Amino acid sequence: MPPAPRPLLAGLLAGVLLLPSLRPVPLRAQTQAPIRVPVAARRTIAVDERLAAAAGLAIGDTVRLAPTAGSLGDLVRIVAITRRGADPSEVARNEFKVRLHLDHLQAVTGSGDRVGRFAVRSSADASDEPNAAPDRVAAAINQAAFGFRAYPASAVAVETSSTFRVVNRFHRAIGVITIVASAIFLLCITLLKVDERRRDVGALRLIGCSRATVLRAIVLEATLVALIGSLLGAALGWAASAIVNWYYQGLYQTPLRFTLVTPGIVGFAVVLSLGLGVVSGLLAGRRLVRTAPLELVGR
Amino acid sequence: MTSAAPVLSAQAIRRAYPLAGRSVEAVRGLSLEVMAGEWVAVVGTSGCGKSTLLNLLGAIDRPTTGRIVIAGRDVSALGDAEATRFRLTGVGFVFQRFYLMPTLTAAENVELPMAEARVPRAQREARARELLAYVGLDGRADHRPFQLSGGEQQRVAIARALANRPALLLADEPTGELDARTGAEMIALFDRLNRDGTTIVTVTHDEELAQAARRVVHMKDGVIVDDVLRRPLDARA
Repeated sequence: MPPAPRPLLAGLLAGVLLLPSLRPVPLRAQTQAPIRVPVAARRTIAVDERLAAAAGLAIGDTVRLAPTAGSLGDLVRIVAITRRGADPSEVARNEFKVRLHLDHLQAVTGSGDRVGRFAVRSSADASDEPNAAPDRVAAAINQAAFGFRAYPASAVAVETSSTFRVVNRFHRAIGVITIVASAIFLLCITLLKVDERRRDVGALRLIGCSRATVLRAIVLEATLVALIGSLLGAALGWAASAIVNWYYQGLYQTPLRFTLVTPGIVGFAVVLSLGLGVVSGLLAGRRLVRTAPLELVGR
Repeated sequence: MTSAAPVLSAQAIRRAYPLAGRSVEAVRGLSLEVMAGEWVAVVGTSGCGKSTLLNLLGAIDRPTTGRIVIAGRDVSALGDAEATRFRLTGVGFVFQRFYLMPTLTAAENVELPMAEARVPRAQREARARELLAYVGLDGRADHRPFQLSGGEQQRVAIARALANRPALLLADEPTGELDARTGAEMIALFDRLNRDGTTIVTVTHDEELAQAARRVVHMKDGVIVDDVLRRPLDARA
């Protein structure tokens, strides 16, 4: 006995059904008599995991697929649950996706053989420059196929990612401002912390420690603090990144990684931190060793 | 037996400071000689110039005019680096407030001047243990200053001052931060140091410390007004 079919009310886009609102309704409430369709004759579909999770669907379930609410549609069988790609443009959309065969899509939507868009894969010759083949194919289609407008994939990618480039630049600007502000803040903190040690520095100078020795000690200490701080910061950043990714990947049902802590970023942070440590230690130390020892010990 | 050669010779030294647009002299043409093995206590009212004198003798400060020779070396015209080096090896300082490094142990504090003077590690560790034992702190070598009493901290400071075997030990109010009993212990330690041959110059308000010294120099308004030899060197025993 096949499992009882479940209704699915859908909005439709070319090639993909998008379901902005899902209202599972018991089949018996819509139809007076049970529907009997041979299982083998049913068309098959794939649903994305967000829809499967929201509607409690599993592979093998039978559902009703209709272009509009209230229409009869088809009973279809779910044969696959698809995972979404890591596409940032899809993350925040409250949409569900259903994949079905093209002829089935045409039949369900009543769109006949209308085609909204299609993709052509080109193969490059060994002598081709990068992107030469897609450009050539696009040009050929634009010349030959009236009513179509062809674009190389790279052009589409550039077009669709322009928003993200702006966001990326904005993030970089925030990053630079944060780094500059943090550097000034850290420098002030180092100056204050080193200044708290002026009595110790004065004592060292009074008992005969050279300026170079004292300066070296201060810079070494500042560098060690910076190194330990940067490693702790990297660990904290990694943990925070893991939590953010875990939370938002679960929330949006996407494999997209929302934050990244790469070796490059860690390296940059450590180098920046060490640089700041050395510079702030040097500035603070120079300021102290140039002061008379008696003044440092408050006499 | 200590030879009676002058370890310290200060000739007509003056130190003037600018104050409110005019020059104020803290030390005015002072001359002083200290023989090897002597213990001199410099006493006087506050502001008489005794701390300034000690800073000049220890190459912490430079005289405006005059000449200071310590252990055969003219320290009155040293540059900053040379004066620093001289403070490291030529004289030992004991301060009223100890000035120990809070993050270092007692032994490490004593080793500090030796490390700066590039004394090999094994030698300086042995010397530090020896000095701490001398001042009665052999069981406290691994304690940090906050784990020591005021008297113990001052003992560590004395051991540190002696680390590089200086020709002269300078002490600025060494009992100033200590209670009467601990102060008396400190005086006894200075006495033992002197009997063992250390030349000492102390600046003090402490009558008992001054009375324990062999020679008491009274200062007033930047000059020596009295110089009393209480016990000659040959009266050591």
